[in-house]
Order: sequence, then structure tokens, then C-alpha cells
Amino acid sequence: MKKAIRKPRESKWFARQSLRSQYLLIVLGSFLFIPVVMPIVSVSYIVFGNMMNGNPKDDLKYGNASDVRAMWYAAAAEMEGKSTPQINLRLHELKAQYPEASIFWVNSAGATELELPPQAGIPDLWMPSDAVAFMKKSVNTDPYTVVAFMGKDNAHSSFMVLQMPRDLFERPATIGTPVYIAIIFTMFVLFVTISILFFRHIQRRLLHLQSAMALQDEHGIPKPVELRRTDEIGGLEAAFNGMIEQLHISRERQLEEEALRKSLIANLSHDLRTPLTVMSGHLYGLREEALSDRGRNSLSIVQDKVSGLSELIDNLLTHTLMTSGRYQLSPEPLDVLRLARESAAGWYPIWERENMEVEVLLPEEAWVWNVDKAGFQRILDNLFQNIVRHASQGGYIGLFVEQHAGRSALVIADRGTGIHSESGAKGAGIGLVIVNYLIVEMGLGLETDSSSEGTRIYIYERKK
Amino acid sequence: MITTLLYIEDDQEIGSFVVEHLRAHQYEVKWLRSGDRATEEVENCSLIILDVMLPGLDGFTVGQRLKKVAPSIPILMLSARTAIDDKLQGLQFADDYVTKPFHPDELIARIEVLLRRSSTFSNVPTNVKHLLVYEAENRIVNTDNEEEITLSGKQFHIFMYLIRHLGQIMTKEQIYESVWGESYLEGDKTLMVHIRYLREKIERDPASPEIIETIRGLGYRIRG
Repeated sequence: MKKAIRKPRESKWFARQSLRSQYLLIVLGSFLFIPVVMPIVSVSYIVFGNMMNGNPKDDLKYGNASDVRAMWYAAAAEMEGKSTPQINLRLHELKAQYPEASIFWVNSAGATELELPPQAGIPDLWMPSDAVAFMKKSVNTDPYTVVAFMGKDNAHSSFMVLQMPRDLFERPATIGTPVYIAIIFTMFVLFVTISILFFRHIQRRLLHLQSAMALQDEHGIPKPVELRRTDEIGGLEAAFNGMIEQLHISRERQLEEEALRKSLIANLSHDLRTPLTVMSGHLYGLREEALSDRGRNSLSIVQDKVSGLSELIDNLLTHTLMTSGRYQLSPEPLDVLRLARESAAGWYPIWERENMEVEVLLPEEAWVWNVDKAGFQRILDNLFQNIVRHASQGGYIGLFVEQHAGRSALVIADRGTGIHSESGAKGAGIGLVIVNYLIVEMGLGLETDSSSEGTRIYIYERKK
Repeated sequence: MITTLLYIEDDQEIGSFVVEHLRAHQYEVKWLRSGDRATEEVENCSLIILDVMLPGLDGFTVGQRLKKVAPSIPILMLSARTAIDDKLQGLQFADDYVTKPFHPDELIARIEVLLRRSSTFSNVPTNVKHLLVYEAENRIVNTDNEEEITLSGKQFHIFMYLIRHLGQIMTKEQIYESVWGESYLEGDKTLMVHIRYLREKIERDPASPEIIETIRGLGYRIRG
């Protein structure tokens, strides 16, 4: 069941799910904010400002211009039937109320009665033209000027004038500026914050993915990650999950193959050994029969070959198991000299049968190496087997200890014709391959010193 | 007395020559083609020879069942399988293990060792040179003068240990640890002293021993 890993999204220029698009939106927002957001801010400032402050006049000292004008008209109307000193008194009061204001009044005869404070350019006696010129000059200028005729309904010809600096009626323009700066600054901070959050989010998801890849289950395969989004990182996560699925499938296949191989080895072993067993049984039976010398000779050769074949099968299967990692070594501190003695004791009858001289000179002290017991025995067995098979004509096997290249080494010596000239050395190959594998796996070292006089094999502990 | 062996083997050719060979060595053989009825047939048998690769129940399962039914009867595993872990699995209940192809004489030798070791063994004496050893009765008779040889406790244990491993070389460590039940210390002369006294009692000429052989550098051996 093959499942295609999702292809990476072919990047359209703008796709809602793309990280590029998302970031473009953020950048675009930050560019648009000056022409679009600024006016919005201004308008909303005014609207909200008015709403917040309720009556804008509250900000002003005397209310706005029309309030002052209404006040001035009312004051003029109150002057009905008042004497000049009374009017003067009242105007003094008003001056006290509005200290920034300039006040004067002109009676019905056209004479200027009071100037608070005294002002330049005010005629003592007003001609109609003066009045017109004054009015004309005062329209829409600073100071703001109010002219009110006195008396009820402001019907008299005497009039009073109030002049006030216009800025008293205007809201100070400087109030808005820091607000704008604050808003721009806020927007900038917002933009930076959003960018940082955006990238942090990406970074966090990537780190999450990374840690998910590092985490492994008991088979050394990472667990699948949860898919949250469908953007590029989401695609990466999906691809990652697909890869894990593939790993699981291949792992299962590998286990199946391993089991198959193991049962194949077992069956092969059985199938190969069964005929060999039958053959050796019948060969044994033949020995009991009357045979010529030639027949006996042939029989012993065949018997030899049958046992050789059996060993070969054993080594071949062991080697297969080792290379497929099925041969588990569990090293422990063991006295290797004792193991060597026990192994040699087992081999002794065979050496005797081959009429070999056996020289065992192992000290009684313990040499504790960290080795796998069965593995170490196998090394010795294969080496001894090799000597019996290929160097027995030397008639000697020696087992002793020696200092070799500064290390204490176990020495196995024979007086055969040397490895390179040994007959059928090729056949012994796999046994020695197993020896070398075990030597390496157990952290030991092996050196061979071979000549036509014989072979010496040094085994030493590599660690230390 | 005839010793009966239970032999479980599915291969006709191997089975027939093994049975023939065992009968030639005076053993009575019950041969089963599968392990299914093994537990019923085990009665009156002194030893079980068990093949690993069997139709139906495999040899390991059969062996474990047999060990439950008759724990005192030794089991010799006979197998064409060589996988190392098989060997370990087998030895948890099996008393010995022989891989095919085996030498028929080796099979007989292993059977004899196992029978001698097991308590069900009849009191047929073991003959070593001029000695007759009755293991079941802890008796050693010198055939030269028909006198019984009396050994001290340790001497007897050493001798019996070597008799039980007839033909095998046992190292000093193995003998010492088996007899004294503690680990052997280097340079310990105790064992050598005991062997010297033992030889004085059993050998015709203690100066050139025939029964207990010294294998230089390795250990001692009694040959059958």
C-alpha cells in the first residue's frame, strides 16, 4: 500500500494559506497605515474628542465668541437710564471680569467717556465716519470686537465696545500633535510586535517539528506530528508524517524478512544436516563391513569430508546470524586463561588422536578480560579447529602467554607450514571470518605471525 | 537389566539407524515419530533423546512438558538446528545437546554420561583398569585383590567427579569448585595433595599413575 507523499504546494503568487501571503499582508498593512489610517485617526480624534469632552466651550475661559457677544449685548441693554458714573462703574466691574479685554464707551453726543485701558486710535469725539471706519477695521480681525448700543433693545445712540484677543476663543492647536505621535508610535510598535509574533510562531512550529524528529520510539522511528495548519510548514509536517509511515512500513517489512530469514536458516540447517547425519550413520555402518584397504581409505576420506561439510554449514549459519545482528554478545569480566584451559581440555582428545604434542603453559593467575563467554569459546574453537585441519602435520600445538607489543597476549602456536602455504586455507576462511568478527566485537586484538616454521596467533585485550 | 530409552525423531532414515545403533549397544528403544504422545510413553524410560524439528509440537515444547512430568529423567537434545539461541533455549531443560550430524559413538558416550549422572541409573559398575566402581553404592573395589578401597570424603568426591566425567579432562578449577564448593585460588596446593593421597590408595604404582592421568597444564582425567 503505497501512499504518495503530498507534493509541496506549487506557490501561486498569492494564496491565503501561504506564509508569504500572510507576511505580505502584514507589510501591506503597515504601508497603508499612513495614508489610510492617519485621516481615520484625525477624524476619529475630533469626533471622539468632542464626544468625550461634551461641550467644547468648557475648555475656553469665557466661552466662545458668541457667548461673549451675547453677554456684551445684555450688559449694554442693562445700561438703560443709567447715569454716566453708574455706567463707568459697571464697565469697571466688567473689566475686572474680563481682564484681557479692552473696553470703552461713547455717549450719545459722540464723545468717548471711558477707555479701559486707554487706547491709541480711539477718537475723543466720534464722527459718523469714524464709527464706520472703526467698524470696518474691526470686522474679522484680531482682536475680536463687539459694539453694542446701550439701552433697552440697544436702541440708544450711545454705544459700548469690547475688544478681546481672538485666541481666547480658540482651542489650542498643539493638543493634537502628541496624540498623533503616540498613535504612529503605537502603530509602529504594533507592526513590529505582529512581525515578531508571526516569525516566532513559524519558529516555534519549526522547533516543534525538529523536536518531533529527534524523539524516537523503541524502534528508532519518530512519532507522527499533529497537523494544525495547511501552510508550507503544515505541508512539511504532512511530508514528515508520510515519511514516518514509510519508515514503519519498511520496518515491518524488515522484521518480516528477518523472521523469514531466520526460519529459512533453521530449515536450511535442518535440510542440510539431515542427509549428512544419514550419510555419517551409514558410513559408520560401513566400517563394520569387510573392506579392502583402499575401501577403508576411501571411507575415512568421505567421513572426513562429511564432518568438514558439517562444520562449514555450522560456520556459515553462525556467520549469517552474526551479520544479520542475531548473535547477541553479552560481555562480562571472565578469566580468559581459565576459559582457554577448559577449551583446550575439550580439544585434548582430538589433539591426542592426531598425535600432536600439546604444550600448555598458562599461569594460574587470573586474566580477567571483558568478554562474552560463548563468543570467546567460539574464537578458541575455530582457531583450534583450524590448526587440527590445516597444521596437524606440524604435530604440535602450544598455548602460552607472552608480552607482545607491550601487552599481555594469549598465544596459540602451531608448527604447520604457515597460513599462506596451508592446503585448503580457503575452506577455513569463514571460520576465521567469524573469529575476526568476534575479536572486533569484544574489543580484543588479534595478530598472526606466520612463517613456514609455523604460526603464532596473539590474542590481547585492546582496551587498557 | 535392560535400559529403555525414549527416542523422538520424525526422520525415518536417521531414526532407523540410530535405533539400530542403540539396540546394538544393548538399549531398549521406544521410538516415537512425533512428540504428541511423549508424556504418556515416558514411563519406565531412563533417558529421552529428543529431536528439535518435529511435526506438530516442536522439540522445545515437548522437552518442557516432559521435564514437568518426569523431572528426574535426563533429556538429550538431538538437533540439526545450529542457531546459537536454540542451544541456549534447549539447555534450559535439556541435560545435554548433540547437533547433527553426530558420530554414533559420541551419542553412545553422551548417553552413558547422562545415565551415570542420573539417579535412575542401575548399579552396573564402571570398570576403570583394575577398579570396579559402584556409583549407586559409593563403593570402589580393587579387582587385583577383591578388596574394597576406602577413601576420605574429599578423595572420594574428587574420584567420583572424574568418574562422572569419564574420558573428559577436568581442570583444577573445575574439580576444586565442584568438590570444595568454593572458588579456586591460584597456586593452591590442596588439590594436588589430595590427588597424591588418592593415587596412593587406588593406583598400582602411584609413581606412574594409570587411573588418574595428569594432563600437563590442563588438569586430570580418568579414561574409561
